Amino acid sequence: MSEKSGIEKIKEASDSLRGTLKESLRDELTGAIREDDQALIKFHGMYQQDDRDKREERAAKKLERLYSFMIRLRLPGGFLKPEQWVAVHEIAGEHSTGVIKITSRQTLQLHGIIKSKIKPTIRSFSKAKLDSIATCGDINRNVLCSSHPKESSIHEEVFSYADKISRLLMPKTKAYYEIWLDEQPLLDKKEEEDPLYQDRYLPRKFKIAIAIPPNNDVDVFANDIGLIAVIENDTLKGFNIAIGGGLSSTHGNTETYPRLATMIGFTDTEEKTLKAIYEIATIQRDYGNRSDRKLARLKYTVDKYGVEWFVKEIEARTGFALQPAREYAFTSRKDFFGWAQNAEGRWYYTAFSENGRIRDDEQTRLKSALLTIAKTGKANFRFTCNQNVIISDVLDADKNSIETILADYGVSKETEASSVIRRNAMACVAFPTCPLALAEAQRYLPSLLEKIELLLQKHALEKEEIIIRMTGCPNGCARSYAAEIGFVGTAYGRYNMQLGGDRIGERLNKIYKENIEEPEILSTLDQLFGTYAVKRNTNETFGDFSLREKWVTI
Amino acid sequence: MNQEKNMLAGPKQTLLTGLTAGASREELIWISGYIAALIEGGEKDTAIPEPVVAVPMPQKITLVYGTETGNSKRVATELAAKAKKKQLQVKLASLDQYRLTDLTKEENLFVVISTQGDGEPPVAAQKFYDHIHRNGFRLEKTKYSVLALGDTSYPMFCKTGEDVDAQLEKLGGKRIVPIRKCDVDYEADADTWFEEVIRSLSQTVPAATPSIKVQQVPDIKSNKLIYTGTVLSHINLHDTGSSRETYHIELSAEGVDYLPGDSIAMVPENNADRVEEILSLTGIDRTRTIPFKESTVTVYDLLRKKIGIVFLHERVIKKYAAVVQQEIPEVRMDLFTLLQLYPVKNTEQFEEVLKILPAQSPRIYTIASSPSTHTGEIHLTVEKDVFEINGTQTTGLCSAHLSQVAPGSTIEFFIQRNKRFRLPAPEKDLIMIGPGTGIAAFRSFISERDATGASGKNWLFFGEEDFVTDFLYQTEIQDWHQTGVLSKVSLAFSKSKSTNIMVQHKLLEHGKEIFNWIESGAHLYVCGQKTPMSLEVESALLGIIERFGGYSAKETQAYFDKMKEEGRYSKDVY
Ligand code: SRM
Ligand SMILES: Cc1cc2nc3c(=O)[nH]c(=O)nc-3n(C[C@H](O)[C@H](O)[C@H](O)COP(=O)(O)OP(=O)(O)OC[C@H]3O[C@@H](n4cnc5c(N)ncnc54)[C@H](O)[C@@H]3O)c2cc1C
Ligand SMILES: Cc1cc2nc3c(=O)[nH]c(=O)nc-3n(C[C@H](O)[C@H](O)[C@H](O)COP(=O)(O)O)c2cc1C
Ligand code: SF4
Repeated sequence: MSEKSGIEKIKEASDSLRGTLKESLRDELTGAIREDDQALIKFHGMYQQDDRDKREERAAKKLERLYSFMIRLRLPGGFLKPEQWVAVHEIAGEHSTGVIKITSRQTLQLHGIIKSKIKPTIRSFSKAKLDSIATCGDINRNVLCSSHPKESSIHEEVFSYADKISRLLMPKTKAYYEIWLDEQPLLDKKEEEDPLYQDRYLPRKFKIAIAIPPNNDVDVFANDIGLIAVIENDTLKGFNIAIGGGLSSTHGNTETYPRLATMIGFTDTEEKTLKAIYEIATIQRDYGNRSDRKLARLKYTVDKYGVEWFVKEIEARTGFALQPAREYAFTSRKDFFGWAQNAEGRWYYTAFSENGRIRDDEQTRLKSALLTIAKTGKANFRFTCNQNVIISDVLDADKNSIETILADYGVSKETEASSVIRRNAMACVAFPTCPLALAEAQRYLPSLLEKIELLLQKHALEKEEIIIRMTGCPNGCARSYAAEIGFVGTAYGRYNMQLGGDRIGERLNKIYKENIEEPEILSTLDQLFGTYAVKRNTNETFGDFSLREKWVTI
Repeated sequence: MNQEKNMLAGPKQTLLTGLTAGASREELIWISGYIAALIEGGEKDTAIPEPVVAVPMPQKITLVYGTETGNSKRVATELAAKAKKKQLQVKLASLDQYRLTDLTKEENLFVVISTQGDGEPPVAAQKFYDHIHRNGFRLEKTKYSVLALGDTSYPMFCKTGEDVDAQLEKLGGKRIVPIRKCDVDYEADADTWFEEVIRSLSQTVPAATPSIKVQQVPDIKSNKLIYTGTVLSHINLHDTGSSRETYHIELSAEGVDYLPGDSIAMVPENNADRVEEILSLTGIDRTRTIPFKESTVTVYDLLRKKIGIVFLHERVIKKYAAVVQQEIPEVRMDLFTLLQLYPVKNTEQFEEVLKILPAQSPRIYTIASSPSTHTGEIHLTVEKDVFEINGTQTTGLCSAHLSQVAPGSTIEFFIQRNKRFRLPAPEKDLIMIGPGTGIAAFRSFISERDATGASGKNWLFFGEEDFVTDFLYQTEIQDWHQTGVLSKVSLAFSKSKSTNIMVQHKLLEHGKEIFNWIESGAHLYVCGQKTPMSLEVESALLGIIERFGGYSAKETQAYFDKMKEEGRYSKDVY
């Protein structure tokens, strides 16, 4: 059992994540890369995928699968300058499907990049000072931070931690620059010796988020490390630290389960905060399960050794004691659409982009709108963990011109016209690109919501901010386990319906009905909404009500 | 025998007896074939039936795999390679490529299959899985065994493998090795399983089955025999979005005798509507019989099946003008157009016209299958010929027809032998240059070498427009490369790269190595488009010889001519 998993061997043998990637790129016979390299390329921010809609057709034509690559940018805190947006827009048009995807971890993904276009893509990104280092793989991922600057006057200060942490936990290898940007190989390999990751990296992906109360838009407890900014009379006092969050599970494997992070304490200085984070990572590196990847996330390490042991180990390694966690309170977990002004008087427009898919369609030309805005150079772009975009840092003087663009391209109309539940909903990518998808998600949820909207109207609940999330498999990429109504794909057209999650992300949901198809989904919801509409207490959320009504027991 | 003996003068006689005395049955068969060939063609290159013929034909096995994430494919491919070393003829196929109607014909069927979902077969194996559960047929002569890939951490461990194993038995198959179920570390188990398979087969390997190369013996009779082949499958090899259509067509052709390098020839029928239009335009009686060649046919059959009526040659236009006694510019035209612009006086005059129209010329298609691998079948690679005539898109008569033939329909054809385009001795190295439909001949060559375990190296040059949509036979070429039959593959996709790369550029790119191959006796083959492809390839080759041989232009030509004489440079171009 304690035999190392295949991936572990690949990492160690990879010569600091180089593997045979260069050879794989040269291979003319296939659009794919070698199998071991498929594991390694993730550390460079890419995934090999294939168009699952076309598998059978191409097989009949004696053509290999339609392989392409998805690339995920490293955007700590999900921030982009206007000229960078223009670059992304152009790269997407040239080398990928054209659709720009805002992810549930506030970064951007491009899909459908064929092998021969990978290097040109990364070169163009690099020109725009963008990279995809460590956005995938067994390593610290894109670091999240509450997106909306209005959340706090000291947003900037907190926000800067996202970048500090991201850099603190970056791998030292120069492989990325050698392979994709043709930089000269290092003469002295010592330069890339990596005290944190060594040659084995972490046992599994590692995720960190920073939340600024009262909004938990980042779903801070879904992360391996969750930081909650503690702010008292407009000064940042430090961070509450929670560890061991992670949502995924595997159908039929009872040892796997979603878990919210456990609060372990508080640090009051930047130095201590960063040190604590660093050592939590080293503990996971040394104690995490390296034989069974399904049990390798920090959450399982925490449960295996116990929170107490873990805290002791942190204190031993950092050389200081964690203080008791401070008071904080979350009241919401959403995006605030439309215009808002922050303490410094700058303007922010949060635009709704359904499931984070930025493209032009008949009514709404969001993609063109963002390009036009970017070209004015008068706004930055921030992405939210609910897969939306904030046109941000707009000066009072420029507000009108931006507003006109948003109107001309139908963006403000779409944002205002979309129903409350639609704007709070999320779906993961799933088909056709996600190799793990069992059921549809982002291609299906919009049409399902239309029908759910009607049910809510029927029961006069259309103003309720119920959080609905759908994922195409139990990995929970759109955090479906942390929703008031969660749909988790089990097979094509079938979903587990999950209830009982709360509105602010402090309680997970539970399975209410298994393997159901649309008709049953709708008839069930019709009933539930009916009961909720008549029996709810004032201001009782649907999630809390589901629990009181014992539809599920936690 | 006495008669013949006396026919030969002393020394020849002794030679013959020396040759035949104590020869094995196969050797005699081969010798007779050799002589038959001499009678037929008299050319030296009929020496194709190399001695290899005399060695026992390896036993055939079919190795199919059903994979989701590639493990089963990997295993199967490795096992196939092993098997070939053991002189077995292996047909390796993914279950989504495998034609289910072949199942009942299989003698040795080995299945490598994984389990997915909760106990379900891989998507690529679903059709096969359903098919064998549908019953309605028997696997009387099939010996089989199953290698199941799975993962013990799943409740339904190797469920699919188990189902397949049980079902094949239900259908009458004979399990020669018990199913082996592998966990995620499957390598060792897979090898043991296969050793058992080999062992149990070797007990049943028939002594030199002379069913063998009898086909390799050129057969005079079959030469102009008309066969009727049924279309088994028909698919456009280009993915959607491609600018072109190239069809892979599989025909049943039991007992049709051909060699790699041969082509089929067929006479296309003229468009039925067009024939009707001509009939009504001229008012001639369709049932009226008139002489054609040695026999007589009805006017309808003549117009439909026997003569050319499109794109008539200037020569024919001239004759037509003479018959109808009118001034007609000598440009190529269709019969229908002629009749409209320059009508015939009456049906009698039209009969005169019919006499001067040329017989429909047969269209030739290089055979893309190999007698040893695709027994009882003939495969074709047909590109739909699309061209413009003053603005309007037109399609070629025969290729347009072949682009639509539905499975079940039949095609009449005869074999067009191509003695100047034959596989060399098994140990010789091959350089094959076949962009576009030129790949046809080499699909045949490589399959044949694969099946017969020829030891020579093989280097394929292929070219097309776009890597993603136009890579004809990509998965087959990949498999050949993995199992090592293809030692090298060089590809030129004119659209994929910004610069317009063609096969000849690839040749130049590998100039030094190509020259080394030539120097060490490699045979070169070019198949496909005559102009400009074959000309550019030829000048590239001359360039390479000149450069790396350090020869003068004159010496280069001499060197090249010598290659041709030795039958080391052959073309099948059109
Ligand atoms: C794009 C995104 C969903 C979206 O629609 O936004 C996504 C997409 C994928 N996730 Fe995820 N995950 C995304 C957020 C998440 C989240 C949510 C979060 O982190 O807040 C989770 C649940 C939280 C957690 O990690 O527990 C999540 C848990 C997974 C897992 C399960 C991890 C585990 O512990 O078992 C996998 C599968 C795996 O890693 O083996 C996975 C794997 C994948 C892959 C890469 C499939 C694969 O491994 O080949 C998906 C690519 C699909 C595609 O074609 O783009 N993704 N993934 C999100 C990208 C975030 C980012 O920018 O980095
Ligand atoms: C040895 C050999 C091997 C071959 N192997 C293959 C093979 O493997 N695969 C393959 O796809 N093909 C192969 N071919 C080519 C094939 O035989 C046919 O020539 C081809 O399919 C076109 O025939 P068709 O009847 O479709 O077109 P046709 O109707 O014969 O037209 C052929 C050409 O004539 C001209 N033309 C016809 N009608 C008109 C008109 N009304 N006005 C103006 N121009 C016109 C056009 O240029 C057109 O391209 C081979 C040919 C040879 C000689
Ligand atoms: C989604 C999924 C479901 C699986 N279900 C099963 C199962 O039910 N039983 C089993 O034995 N193995 C199961 N496996 C394991 C695979 O059979 C195993 O990984 C095998 O090596 C895959 O071979 P392949 O790459 O040829 O598909 C499953 C694997 C995946 C990814
Ligand atoms: S939840 Fe599953 S289906 Fe959806 S993106 Fe993540 S891995 Fe793919």
